This record gives sequence, structure tokens and C-alpha cells, in this order.
Amino acid sequence: MKDLLQIINKEFLLVARSGYGVFMPVAYLLIIMILFNISISFVDKKITQELIPLMIWISCLLICILNLETIFKEDYEDGSLEMFLINKKNIESTIIAKIFTHWVSSNFPVVIIAPMVALLLGLDSHTAMILFISLLIGTPSLTLIGSIAAALTISLRSNKILLSLMVLPLYIPILIYGTNAVNNSYFGISYQGEITMMILLFILFLLITPFTCAKALLVALD
Amino acid sequence: MMTNIIIETKDVTLYRNDSKIFEGISIDIEKTKLLNIYGRNGSGKTSLLKILTGVTEPTSGIVLNRSDDETLYEKIIYVGHKSGLKNNLTVNENLYYFIKPEEQNKTTKIDTALEIYQMMNYKNTLVKNLSHGQQKKVSLMKTIIADAKVWILDEPYSALDAESIKIFDMTIENYIKQEGSVVVTNHKKITENSWSKNYQLN
Repeated sequence: MKDLLQIINKEFLLVARSGYGVFMPVAYLLIIMILFNISISFVDKKITQELIPLMIWISCLLICILNLETIFKEDYEDGSLEMFLINKKNIESTIIAKIFTHWVSSNFPVVIIAPMVALLLGLDSHTAMILFISLLIGTPSLTLIGSIAAALTISLRSNKILLSLMVLPLYIPILIYGTNAVNNSYFGISYQGEITMMILLFILFLLITPFTCAKALLVALD
Repeated sequence: MMTNIIIETKDVTLYRNDSKIFEGISIDIEKTKLLNIYGRNGSGKTSLLKILTGVTEPTSGIVLNRSDDETLYEKIIYVGHKSGLKNNLTVNENLYYFIKPEEQNKTTKIDTALEIYQMMNYKNTLVKNLSHGQQKKVSLMKTIIADAKVWILDEPYSALDAESIKIFDMTIENYIKQEGSVVVTNHKKITENSWSKNYQLN
């Protein structure tokens, strides 16, 4: 446990030193939403209202992919990855700590800002709340799945496109549940089932990711 | 029978993309011994070290942990070509996060290491502002700080100046006296003595 806290501590210090990187995803979300609203400005207001939460969900999903490769990249390049794979002791907890800090620093700001954007665009507060909850449960799963692909492709020089191609199909179930929950909430239908499924998916990926990632990193370094 | 062997390799062969890197290598890492693996560029020194540390699986042959310690791999310090240092952290922070959290006297340990390598003035400098040689020294400091059983060092002498090489040799000698064992790769032979030996890779 102490090891885990020390790693998290270190990762956050690194994030703090890395400058304005944390604000990029948020800026990206705002830009996508502005472009989206400009492009659909001639569509009926009622239809755009329905589309907004779904668009926000898709934007968050794409933003998630945007910086996936950075989870292990720096460690791979400076050689600390090799060291922690040799000392077989804390591989899984180190990986979880890395994924956690990555999510907090690059996805959590988006999760907070997204419902506010939705409110600004005239969505009702209950649906905005559900949007927040579905993103809060959904994006960690996205990061967990993505980290496996990031680990597999780490030794490739231009891995960004391959990474997206690998990850996007796997994101579809979570996207379906997330957008369904928000959509149901918008139309006043029950959405508990979707939220529960997303929680289950999150737990499932939380359990398998550390081991899969460890194996993938070993394969990639071989 | 009491044995001094910590890690033993038997007939280790490695192929990469169907081309042979090396074949039939049997070496032992012994307690209180320095093993200098030397050979020309591309002879597979780094690959052999990776096999010893367990990161790479050999194509054939086996690597055995012959020490009575099952957690041996946690007590290996590996310093490779890449420094393993974070550019945006200071020397002090890099070393601090390297020490296990439960250990006491972290600052004294770090200060001792900095004193030995005469880098006290750089304690609070960001690693990215250090020269290549200084970064190498900081990554070698990890060996002093950590409580390790085996040091596995890939080309530790590269980028070091004559004085630092002297200091480094001295730390190796001290460590061997404290029952440690060291494996280094090198491009040349070293003079053998009672606690060091050479192994040539072709």
C-alpha cells in the first residue's frame, strides 16, 4: 500500500511539473462542442437538444484515446519501465497507480467540465447529472482498456493510429451503455440497468487490466 | 553443499528473427564476484543481461535462481543504457522515489551517495539540466542507495570521466566486500583478480 501511494505521489508530481498538459483535454472538448454547435445550427432546436449529450459522450471517448499512449511512453523512453519489470514485486500495483494518475490528470477534468458544457447548451440538470455519472463510471473503463493497447504498442514508433484502431471497437459496448443511459434519462425512462452494466464492466476491466498490461509490457520489451 | 552461485544459466541460446545472437552460454553469477561480460558491438551483451534479469526469455536453455532467496529478482538493481531518471524531477527527488517507502534515513542515504560521487551541488538540479555523464552518475548512485543483492549494469563505464570511473570501481569493490555480486558489460577485458573475472561473448 505504501508503495502504491509513493508511486501515485511521484506520478502526480510529474504531472504537476509537466505544465499545462492537464488543460488540453478540456480545451479540446470545448473546441469540439463549439464546432459541433456551429455545424448543426440550422437543425431544429429540439433535435439538437437530443444530440448534445450523445455528442459530448463521443467527444469524451475520443479525447480518452488522444493521450492514451502517454501512460507508459515516458517510462519506456527513459528506461524506468525495464527496471520495474525486472523487480517483479509491484508490477500490478504500479500499473494501476499509473492508470489511475493518468485518468485523474487527463480524463477527470473532462468528466467535470462535460456536464457543465451540457448545462450551458440548455440540457436539463437531471440529464446533466446522469451524463456526469455515466462519464465518471465509463471513462475509467475506457482508460483501462486503452492501457492494454498502449502497453502492447509501446515499442512501435508511430503507434497512435494503430492504438486507436485497436481500441475503438472495444470501446463500443461502453459507448452504447453510456449514451443509452443519458438518452433514457433525457426521455425520462429508467437508466439504472445501463449504469449497473457500466459498473460491472469497470470492475471486470479493473480486475484483468493489471495482469494483462504486465504481460503486454513484457512482450513489448522482449 | 554450500554454493555461492546466485543465478546460473545453462546452455542459453538466443535467436532474433531467425538469426543467431549467441549460442550455448553457460555462466554463473556468484556471490562476492564481479563478472565482466565483454565483446564487440552487437555480440548480444545487452540481450544476455536481459535474459539474466528475466525480462527476455531465451530461445532455448534455462536460467535458474540458485540462491535460497525466492524474492531475488526484487533485489536486483539494473542500470541500462537508458538512465531510468525522470527529466522533470530533481536529482534528490529521483533518488528519493527510488528508495522503498518503508526505509528509514532516506536523506542520509541520498546524501552519502551524492557525497561519494561528488555531486552534492547538484542535489536540487532538474535531471534534464545535467550533462549525459552526470545523469549516468546519478543512475549509478541508485546502486549505492538500494539494498540490493546483485547489480546488473549495462556499459556502466560509458560517458564517465576518469575520476568517476575510479569512484565507481571503488564502490564496486566495497560492495563485493559486503557480499554483493556484480555483472557489468564492457567493450574490453578487465584485469582479473581474486574477485573478478572476464567472460567473452563472440
